[in-house]
Amino acid sequence: MNKDKEHHFVELLEKHQNIIHKVCRLYTYNYDTHNDLFQEITIQLWRAYPKFRGDSKFSTWMYRVGLNTAITLYRKSKRRIKTQDFSDVQFRISSEEYDDTEEQQLKLLYTAVRQLNDIEKALVFLYLENKNYREISETMGISEVNARVKMNRIKTKLRTILNP
Amino acid sequence: MDELELLKNDWQKDNANYPKLTYDEIYKMLLKKSSSIVKWIFIISILEFIFWTLISFFLEDANFNKKFQEYEAKNIMLPIMLFGYIIIVYFLVKFFMNYKTISVTDNAKILMENILKTRRTVKQYVAVNLGFIVISTVVMLSIQFNRDQQMISIIDNASANGELFKFYSITIIITLISLGAAVGVLLLFYYLIYGILLKRLNNNYEELKKLEV
Repeated sequence: MNKDKEHHFVELLEKHQNIIHKVCRLYTYNYDTHNDLFQEITIQLWRAYPKFRGDSKFSTWMYRVGLNTAITLYRKSKRRIKTQDFSDVQFRISSEEYDDTEEQQLKLLYTAVRQLNDIEKALVFLYLENKNYREISETMGISEVNARVKMNRIKTKLRTILNP
Repeated sequence: MDELELLKNDWQKDNANYPKLTYDEIYKMLLKKSSSIVKWIFIISILEFIFWTLISFFLEDANFNKKFQEYEAKNIMLPIMLFGYIIIVYFLVKFFMNYKTISVTDNAKILMENILKTRRTVKQYVAVNLGFIVISTVVMLSIQFNRDQQMISIIDNASANGELFKFYSITIIITLISLGAAVGVLLLFYYLIYGILLKRLNNNYEELKKLEV
């Protein structure tokens, strides 16, 4: 691949790097693994770049490669949420005095999202990124109806985690 | 308000909080090596091919060629050997073709399917090899029992002493133990490979498949 293409790729990635950071935020638990996953996604993007055709947006293409790397290719073991951690979080949520501030609720929401499995997180990620169900279904390889059904189930699941 | 909508609002305005990597930092990452699962699957698969091919060659070399020339059993052994080579070529070609279809730009489900398909090819190769070893062992033993002069005299001796049953029992037990050990190696392989490498992928694939029911 020529230098121009390399330069162009790095520029595009620099511009859209937040997409990768956001994937890392959902799938990693500390600074080191965040960087590690960021690097792996970058490598995978770079390898796939020769096949990238301008007919899809670079950012759209990044979502797919980023998520695929996070849920399928990434090998480093992450700290899995164990049952113990899970009940611990639940305990804390239920025993804390109810705090209506938005910030408090957001904190709990992020904690709850982290407890979802890899596939659920991927759907939530695309949803948070304002992708419609057609795009979600195309990225995940499931039907649009199933994406919708699953998303509703995830919402219920999150509600249960937040209000046990 | 919907919980996820609240999260979405925050998620989208959160941009400023992420680290900002410079052009040079990103450029340096391009030069780093991938540690993706596909790379490891490729390495492990190639090692398996080498391992099982060596085992087949070793068996052929040790047992078939040397002694079996004496038995004049070439018309039986030659097709078996040929079949062995065809197996290697067939599975290697299939493996590389599957491997080439793995693309990170496919959707998540297809990507997982292609990775698992590549693995399955290697698994089939190992299973066929194991079957091959079992069949070869049985064929080998039966030829040996019929044509090896030493073996025939041992059998005659055992028969004369009334220990024919004992002789056959021991032979069968030893054969079973050896084949059991081969199966054990296979299971260990898969316990390690699937346990460590593919557990997460399998779980995620199952989760995606569940959505389609």
